[in-house]
Amino acid sequence: MNTVLSRANSLFAFSLSVMAALTFGCFITTAFKDRSIPVDIHVSKVMIKNVDDFTGPRERSDLGFVTFDISANLQPIFDWNVKELFLYLTAEYSTKSNALNQVVLWDKIVLRGDNTKLNLKDVKSKYFFFDDGNGLRANKNITLTLSWNVVPNAGILPLVMGSGHKSLAFPETYETSKSY
Amino acid sequence: MLSAFKSIPTHMDYKGQKLAEQIFQGVILLSAVIGFIYGFTIQQFGWTVYIMLAGFTISCLLTLPPWPVYRKNPLNWQPAMPETSGENRDKPQEIQKKKKHK
Repeated sequence: MNTVLSRANSLFAFSLSVMAALTFGCFITTAFKDRSIPVDIHVSKVMIKNVDDFTGPRERSDLGFVTFDISANLQPIFDWNVKELFLYLTAEYSTKSNALNQVVLWDKIVLRGDNTKLNLKDVKSKYFFFDDGNGLRANKNITLTLSWNVVPNAGILPLVMGSGHKSLAFPETYETSKSY
Repeated sequence: MLSAFKSIPTHMDYKGQKLAEQIFQGVILLSAVIGFIYGFTIQQFGWTVYIMLAGFTISCLLTLPPWPVYRKNPLNWQPAMPETSGENRDKPQEIQKKKKHK
């Protein structure tokens, strides 16, 4: 402890250890929090087509088109340990060939400091709603849920499902003439 | 320029070193506690880090330069013994000659 450099060294190392303890404290205060909030989803338009799917093994697959509204208030989720939220809308259903199918239709990143009231209307899906086969036609029960991934400052990244879902049914026939 | 830096006296005596260590540990712990409570209250971890950095800077200013308060207990060195320069030159040369023969 006799030269400036050795004093500076011990000072800096002590500060870093204290900083690590503070970060752990930040993690502990938010580790057991429930991050689920109620979510409202409405569906305005549902359409289905049977098209060539070049990514799958068969010639033609069902392609669904869903237009939806989402409204949710994300403010209670953001605390001092949340850096951003990754939201995604999932469609879940079962067909004759597969017991469980889950397709992500739309996602959004909400950073800390962005507007936390989500009020989206008439949103088209961002990603193609392809089925593995022809199981979407006349499928009575397709459930849409909004989930999110919480990205923290320190700690684990939980996957949380919102409370609130919407069931919809696809029509019996395909649309052939008009394009989307 | 480096020799100018090296010639600045930076020593502290032992009691001064102990005092400096206690001071910087106390300042940093205090700023950590204040920062944690403030950050938790306004729910922004960034402020905790800023307050910690402020505490770090304050403790740097308080303990890195050798303030006079850290030099209050200097060591009592024995007075230097008077020595003739001839004796000192002969002895190291004799030792060197003996080593070369072996």
